[in-house]
Amino acid sequence: MTPSIAQLVMTRRVIVCGGSGGVGKTTTATAIAIAAAQRGRKVLALTVDPSKRLAQTLGVDRNAAAPTSISAERMAEAGIHAPGSLEAWMLDPSVVADRLIERLVTDTTEAHRLKGNRIYRQLSRLVAGTQEYMAMEALYRFLEEGRYDLIVLDTPPSRNALDFLLGPGRVAAFADGRIFQLFLPSDQQTGFFRAAAASILTRVNNAIFGEQTYGELQEFFATFANIIVGINRNASQMLKTLQNPDEVAFLLVSSPAAEAMVEAFYFRRKCLEMELPFRGFVLNRSEARPDARVMPEVSAFGEVDPVLGSALAKLQRLATLELAQVERDRKLMDELTTELGEDAVALAVPALANGAHDMEGLMHIATILMEEPVPVTEHPVPAA
Amino acid sequence: MQELFDRRVLLITGKGGVGRSTLTAALAHAAHKRGKRVLVAEIGQADSDYTPLARLFGRDTFPKDPIPLSGGVRGVTLWPRKGHERFFKKVIPVSALVNAALSSHALQRMLDAAPSFNEMGVFYHLLTLLLEQRPDGKYEHELIIVDMPASGHTLGLTGVPSRVLEAMPSGPIAQAMREGQEVMHDPKQCAVWVVALPELLPVTEALELLDGLVKDKMPIGGVLLNRFVPDEFTPEERERLQPLLEEREVYGKARFIGSPRSEEALERLDRGSKVRVLRITERPLQGKALAASIAEDFASGRTA
Repeated sequence: MTPSIAQLVMTRRVIVCGGSGGVGKTTTATAIAIAAAQRGRKVLALTVDPSKRLAQTLGVDRNAAAPTSISAERMAEAGIHAPGSLEAWMLDPSVVADRLIERLVTDTTEAHRLKGNRIYRQLSRLVAGTQEYMAMEALYRFLEEGRYDLIVLDTPPSRNALDFLLGPGRVAAFADGRIFQLFLPSDQQTGFFRAAAASILTRVNNAIFGEQTYGELQEFFATFANIIVGINRNASQMLKTLQNPDEVAFLLVSSPAAEAMVEAFYFRRKCLEMELPFRGFVLNRSEARPDARVMPEVSAFGEVDPVLGSALAKLQRLATLELAQVERDRKLMDELTTELGEDAVALAVPALANGAHDMEGLMHIATILMEEPVPVTEHPVPAA
Repeated sequence: MQELFDRRVLLITGKGGVGRSTLTAALAHAAHKRGKRVLVAEIGQADSDYTPLARLFGRDTFPKDPIPLSGGVRGVTLWPRKGHERFFKKVIPVSALVNAALSSHALQRMLDAAPSFNEMGVFYHLLTLLLEQRPDGKYEHELIIVDMPASGHTLGLTGVPSRVLEAMPSGPIAQAMREGQEVMHDPKQCAVWVVALPELLPVTEALELLDGLVKDKMPIGGVLLNRFVPDEFTPEERERLQPLLEEREVYGKARFIGSPRSEEALERLDRGSKVRVLRITERPLQGKALAASIAEDFASGRTA
């Protein structure tokens, strides 16, 4: 039996919304959180680097140090009357990074030295997956605290939806001991062969990075080495938590474009490989929805009323464009549902004329997301 | 229109689902029709089975070295490791050491883990393709058109040289980044085109992206306003049709209501940015047929 998003919202402790940037992922995640709170759950919407507009809509500070309750006024607007049932936190990755360092590095002078290193200051931008790792860290901590019934995680904006899944692993890979070997000064390497290999590496590294930068990299790695054990342990614990199919659901948010399909299938395959409970797709701005429209009729008016006749001819051309789009979106949806297994859903959400950047828009999206999905083959065929 | 193709490199960007790949293919076909030796490039993704751009040329993916495609255009995937390889060969004087570097797992993992190194690799791969020459001294690829990743990541990529220079102000990497900047920041050689849809939010996002690109000192070609629906109704026609459509659910109604918004979007872009805006009208086609139809318009200068 395929669980609908409405069911997931009531039964899971974590819903992760993945997807590449610019597909309406944050909007979808927020709408899911609102729907869950409307249904009486205590919800945290957790997002990394959200748009200004969304923070404004929810009325929360973008750089708050902890989760903030959505004001009673705004909640009433969304039909939520239980106080404190919806909180939001917009994570600032650099704040979380510094906190993580403080927790993992007990020696304060060392923590201080690390934070001053030029490579560290660029860390979240230089090392792939840092933001993803931080988001998982925060999620993991809130789960342990048990303050919320449901946490909806909006994953960091990225080029590729997979970045989130692979992120923590990448950080762990970066923290791999073998990489550190590269940057240990050669006089600290023991044994003849190692020392010889290290001096070759030094020459190679100096050629690639230049002496000054290589020196800075060495300093960074010497300090950073102390926290890798912590990072590796955390990453594997977090992965385990996310693999629990009774508590966690992964949704991929996507646009109805050819490139989205490539990504969607790949995301699903990777989830299966990593044993993460993939539960479905949300296709934003898609016309693959139940549709009662028909083609406009043209013939009768043209001769009697030339103005209307010409207007109808123009309308006919627009109708052809619209129908072509509906067919394109349906074809994509069909491909998706054919490929989908029994345990995942695909849901199309139409574009809203005014966007979804006010409470009203978010509520509208929330309602649509809670619909039971209709198999595409049952959509009425438009009359010609 | 010739002026559009009078560059060494065009970077095509815009958010997901706006039609970047289609327009990249259309521009490539059009430039080829105008007699240019064209290379279309996309940026290597993990291990995708296929890419939308390659599909438009009848393939699943492009290889890491340019190959001829149907229609006389050539295609390539820009690949971080290819860039690293070429970079190592240039900066490391002894070839045994190059091999040592290339076969060092630790170094490879380090380069994989750091996205800036990946982006640097992509950047360097592009740079070497731009500089490649034929025996007669002419450029092997007169025009390279790159299907860039979605908005946010494009800024990630165009901002790479300055970010890298901030972290590593000296050394061979810094020097290569400066060389790259010379080409990328030169409006005679490079132009970024932002693909947008004629709707409220997409236009806002396009304007934000343009701002970001200007901050990164990238030369802007302009905006490609895709799926533009011109408002062809006279006021009288609108007045007659409006009441008839009020109660009915017919195809075409949404665009009848929406086409003035298309024109508004155009005005907003004109007002909000000082760049050129080219309209690409919506057509009831998809895939290769759509790209070919848009290419016709580009080649004949019908796009305005």
